[in-house]
Amino acid sequence: MTPSFVRSLQSEWMKKRGSLASWIIVAGAFFTPAIVTIARILHAERLQELTAADDFWMKLWTSSWESMAIFLLPMGVILATSLITQIEYKNNTWKQLHTLPLSLTAVFFSKLAVILVMLVEFFALFNLGIYLSGVLPVLVTGGAAYPKAAIPWTTFLREDALYFVDCLPIVALQYLVSLRFKNFLVPVGAGFLLWIGALGALRWTYGYFIPYTYCIFNYLKTGVDTKAVIPAVNIHLFAAGYFACFTLAGYILYITKREKG
Amino acid sequence: MTDCSVETSELSYSFSDQEIVIHGIGLRVPAGSIYGFLGPNGAGKTTTLRLLLGLLRKQRGTISFFGLPFREHRIDILRRVGSLIETPSLYSHLSASENLELLRLIHQCPRSRILEALKLVGLQDTGPKKAGQFSLGMKQRLSIAVAILHEPSLLILDEPTNGLDPNGMIEVRELLKRLNSERGMTILVSSHLLAEIDKLVSHVGVINKGRLVFQGTLDGFKQGRELSRAVILDTGDPARTILILAEHGVHSRLEEGKVIMTPLANDQIALVNRWLVTAGIDVYGISAVRGDLESVFMELINT
Repeated sequence: MTPSFVRSLQSEWMKKRGSLASWIIVAGAFFTPAIVTIARILHAERLQELTAADDFWMKLWTSSWESMAIFLLPMGVILATSLITQIEYKNNTWKQLHTLPLSLTAVFFSKLAVILVMLVEFFALFNLGIYLSGVLPVLVTGGAAYPKAAIPWTTFLREDALYFVDCLPIVALQYLVSLRFKNFLVPVGAGFLLWIGALGALRWTYGYFIPYTYCIFNYLKTGVDTKAVIPAVNIHLFAAGYFACFTLAGYILYITKREKG
Repeated sequence: MTDCSVETSELSYSFSDQEIVIHGIGLRVPAGSIYGFLGPNGAGKTTTLRLLLGLLRKQRGTISFFGLPFREHRIDILRRVGSLIETPSLYSHLSASENLELLRLIHQCPRSRILEALKLVGLQDTGPKKAGQFSLGMKQRLSIAVAILHEPSLLILDEPTNGLDPNGMIEVRELLKRLNSERGMTILVSSHLLAEIDKLVSHVGVINKGRLVFQGTLDGFKQGRELSRAVILDTGDPARTILILAEHGVHSRLEEGKVIMTPLANDQIALVNRWLVTAGIDVYGISAVRGDLESVFMELINT
């Protein structure tokens, strides 16, 4: 990492402070756990049975990831990535950014790095949310014992890592599109259409070629009853490959852009 | 070493094959000068400044700063340049000092520079107020603070007094003069406010329809256009007036029913009046074409 990249990264991280993108990360991470927490408090009579189960944490994990993997994570990534570049468009600051003593490479990769760090932040907060949704209902209602099952940290961390990799094609493609178009609706609309396309392609034998399917497939592989065709290939490798291709394409398009603000 | 902070040669740019907006511009901004870049709307001022800063990809010609070619030394050059192009570029969800802090991280200048820059533009008391809540004038002043934060050798400002009230315009003018005289900053400033430019700059470049039609000192700009101070005679018989003036060795010509003479001293103008009255010609009016920057500028861009 060059000093120029580090300085740019610090500056980019500061820029996103208090921005809509940073709030989406926090709100998105705690949305599902908050619903689960409220539902369990409202149905406190079932808590005793739930907390006594050996697979308490795995069941909680799976139910928490259902809406997250299929809907909230892809849409959150689409929105947050597009909003990061919108900070420059909305404030008319591309011209300021491009007249700073920074290479275009440093600018491109520092923004991408901020998005990826935000994604890590999102996973950390979501995991914390899952934990809290497991213990808060017990503490609030006092009607059940603390879950006796041990938390399967290694499984959680491995799955987090896989979901992270599976998001990367969405990040890279959304980043590419949102750098090209000033109008916020273009990257968001394109992302939404691709996500709809991904949902429609789940039953298709070659659905795994669509880069927005991987988070969904990663969730469905856990044996959820579905008519989706679970790919026999390593989707995580596909995701990493798409990420590399989209990032390279985005970088080339960015540095060769005729007008830079 | 070069005595120019900015130098271009044969700089051209077109948005399409049909629309050439800059034609072979050879800009020379002397080091230590305040260079006023003048031109009517759409003349190519902003396009030229954006080309200089690399915001538009150069198509033809050369650009150098401090004697160094821009393409090869972009980052080193930008370290020494502060700029404000058109409308303010500020992060509306951040305060004035946060806006400067994120640039300070890039420029690696001392933290004390933030307060110094804010004081220079009179925004040191804005506290946590977000830049999005600032008036246009405050935004413009903060943009100037952004441009001068790292104490650049060269400031490139595109219409820096846009949105400022008369008092704000005077403050900015005085600030720029101070930065130039006390800190030796070279300033390249574009504006359409000729009265402002007249009071600020030492050098002038005039661009019209994408071509540089004048470049030199402000005094040279005015003196070189002495003809614009010609005297206009409105008489009852212009044709006879021209004959009488010729008899006395004064050159004149007829334009739109009026007689235009070369510049004359006041006593000579009175003498001309006496000749005409003595010859029985009614004299309705004698006036001098204004020789201020505006009339010189208008004459130049209408040529």
